[in-house]
Amino acid sequence: MTDDKLRVWLGAVADDLIPAADGMPAATEVGVTGSQLDLVLAVRPDLARALNRAWVLAGEHLPGPALRLLADLDPRAHQAVLEIVAGAYYTSDLVKRLLGYTGQQPVPVRPEDYPAYLAEDLLDRVVDRGPVHRDPDSLSRRQ
Amino acid sequence: MEHADVLVVGAGASGGVVTGALAEAGFDVVCLEQGHWPDRTDFPALRPTYELEARGGWGGNPTLRGRPEDYPVNETGSDIATLMYNGVGGSMVLYAADWPRLLPSDFRTRTLDAVGDDWPLTYRDLQPFYERTDRAFGVSGLAGDTSLPPGGEFPLPPLPIGDGALRMARAHDRLKWHWWPAPNAVLSRPYQGRNACAHYGSCMQGCPEGAKASTDVTHWPNAIKAGARLLTGARVARILTDSLGLAIGAEYVDAEGKWDIVKADVVIMAANSVGTARILLNSASPRFPNGLANSSGLVGRRLMVHPFANVTGYFDEPVDAGGHVGAKIVSYEFYETDPDRDFVRGAKWSLAPTGGPLNAALPSRAGNSVWGKEHHAHVRHHLGHSLSWCIFGEDLPDEDNRVQIDDSLTDSSGIPAPKVTYRVGENSRRLLDFNIERAEHSFAEAGAHRTAVESLMRFSGWHLLGTARMGEDPSTSVVDGWGRAHDVPNLYIADGSVFVTSGAVNPTSTIVSLALRNVEHLIENRREQRTPR
Repeated sequence: MTDDKLRVWLGAVADDLIPAADGMPAATEVGVTGSQLDLVLAVRPDLARALNRAWVLAGEHLPGPALRLLADLDPRAHQAVLEIVAGAYYTSDLVKRLLGYTGQQPVPVRPEDYPAYLAEDLLDRVVDRGPVHRDPDSLSRRQ
Repeated sequence: MEHADVLVVGAGASGGVVTGALAEAGFDVVCLEQGHWPDRTDFPALRPTYELEARGGWGGNPTLRGRPEDYPVNETGSDIATLMYNGVGGSMVLYAADWPRLLPSDFRTRTLDAVGDDWPLTYRDLQPFYERTDRAFGVSGLAGDTSLPPGGEFPLPPLPIGDGALRMARAHDRLKWHWWPAPNAVLSRPYQGRNACAHYGSCMQGCPEGAKASTDVTHWPNAIKAGARLLTGARVARILTDSLGLAIGAEYVDAEGKWDIVKADVVIMAANSVGTARILLNSASPRFPNGLANSSGLVGRRLMVHPFANVTGYFDEPVDAGGHVGAKIVSYEFYETDPDRDFVRGAKWSLAPTGGPLNAALPSRAGNSVWGKEHHAHVRHHLGHSLSWCIFGEDLPDEDNRVQIDDSLTDSSGIPAPKVTYRVGENSRRLLDFNIERAEHSFAEAGAHRTAVESLMRFSGWHLLGTARMGEDPSTSVVDGWGRAHDVPNLYIADGSVFVTSGAVNPTSTIVSLALRNVEHLIENRREQRTPR
C-alpha cells in the first residue's frame, strides 16, 4: 500500500481533484500522499483494499481518464479514492486553519440565555394558531 | 450456568430500562449483550480524523462496520440499509438523540385513516410514561408544543437552536407553518451526575461528554448497583423452551467462542426489530416449527424503517448550525392526513447541521461534489452556509417487508444471520415527494439561494420497528398489549418490534416509555406470571 508508484499516481489524481486555487494549497502540498495518506489508512483500513483495486485498474492512466475509468469499472474504488483524497486534505491542520474551521471544540451550553424566538414572540404565534395534531377522541384539527 | 428470575436479551434502550426496573423491584436479572461497554475515550469526536472515522468504523451499518460483536445482514433485497450499534446502550450510543413522541393519531391509524392498525393503547395511556422517561434520561425541551396534547414540563430547558434555526423559525412564522424547539435527550445543564452538552457536534459517533442520553450512562450503572448482572460479549443464538412450551432461558456464545446457557423464569427480548426477529426465528423447534411465538406467522413481518429524505438549503450568509447534531427545531406542519393530498399520513421534519469540511467536499447526504479549480469555492460556499431538513415519513406496515433467516449467511459464531426484504411503498414515495417540495419552499422563504435533495436515502434505517407487533388477536399479532407473547406466556418483547404502526417520528422515546409501562405491568402482576418452575 505504501508503494512509491502508487503514491505518485495518487498524488497526480489528488492534485487533479484538488489543485491549488483561491488561496488554498494543492492536495500534494499538504502531504495527501505522504503522512496524511498514512493517517487516513490507519483510521480507515477499509479504504486500503479499494485503493489497491483503483491502482491496479487505473494506475496506468492519467488522472482524468483514470477517474472516469474507475467510475465506470468500480464505483466503490472510485468513491474510495475521492474519500481518501478529501479525507487526507481536510484533516490537514493547514487546510483547516485556512478555512477557519476549528473542528469539534467544546462550547458550553448556556440555556439561561433568553432565546430570540421568545423575544420575538414567534412561539406565541405558533400557539395562537392552535393544535396541529388530531385528537382521535374529537378529531379536532385547525383548519 | 447462570440462573435468574428474568433474562433480558440486549442491553440497549429497552433492555436498560426493563433491567433497571426489574432489579430495583428486587428481581434477580441477567442480561446478555453481544457487544461491550462503549469506551468513551475511544469515541472519535476529539480526533482530527473525526469526519473520516464517522464514515467508517463509526458508521451505523453493522455489515460494513464488521466489528466482532456485529452480525451481518443480507440486505440485497432491501431499499434501505439497516443501522444499529451492538453494545451496552445499544443504538442510543450512535443516535442523534431526537426525542419526539408519537402523536395521538399514530395510535389510531385504522380508525382515522383506514390504513395500518390501531394500537391496543392510546397516547394518553403512554403519556405518563413519556414524562417519566423524559426525567430518567434527562430531556431538554420546551413544553407547549402544539403537535401534542398539553402535558408536563421537561426536566431541562431547551438547547440553544442557533442563528440558522432561528432563520428557519422566522420563515415558518411568515408561512404560518408549525415549528417548535426540538426536544433532545441531551443535557442543557448538568443533571444527575452527568455533564451538560459541550457541543462537540459528534452525537452520532458517541458523546465523549456523556451528555447525550444512552442507557450505558443513564440506566445501567444503577441497574448494576441494584444487583443486575450484565454479561457482555454474550451473543444469544436461541431461546430455549420446555415441554410445556414455556421459555426456560437462552443459549449463547461468549467472545472466546464458549457456548453456555442462562436459565430464567421469564425471558424478555430487547435486541431490536431485526435482532429479536432473528433470534425468535432461529429458535424454531418441533413444537414451534416456524420460530418461537410465531403461530401468527408475523414474526419478522411488517418491518418498518421510516423512509427518509434530506433537503439541504444553501445560504449566501453564514448560518450557525453548530453544536449538538440532533434536531434544532422540528415541524409537524405536514404530519397529519389531509384528504386533499394523494397520500395518507405524513412526515416529521427535523432541522440539522450539515457537518464539517469533509462533508462540504463530499456530502454524505443531499448535495454534490465539485472537483478541480472550482473545488475550493464550492467548499467555502457550503461549509457553514447550509442547513438540512431531515424528513421522516410514516412507513405503513406491509407484511412483505420482513426479516427472515438467510439460507447461508452466518455471523462470526456461525449463527444464521438475518435477511431483510424491504420495498418502499407508493404511499411513502408520494408522501416524501410532497414533503420535499414543501421543505424546498421552507428554505426559499428563509432566503436559501438553492437546495439539494436526497430522497429515500439508503443508509437511513435506524428506526427498526414492527416485526412482532402488539395486538389483542393472537392470529394477527405476536404479543399482547403488554408485550407478552401470545404463544409463550413467559416470553416478552420490549423493543421496537412491538410497534403496530411506525408513526413518523424517531422512536426511542416511545420504545423506552412502552418498555417501562410493560415491565411495570409485569412486576405488578408477577404473582399471576406462569413460569417453568
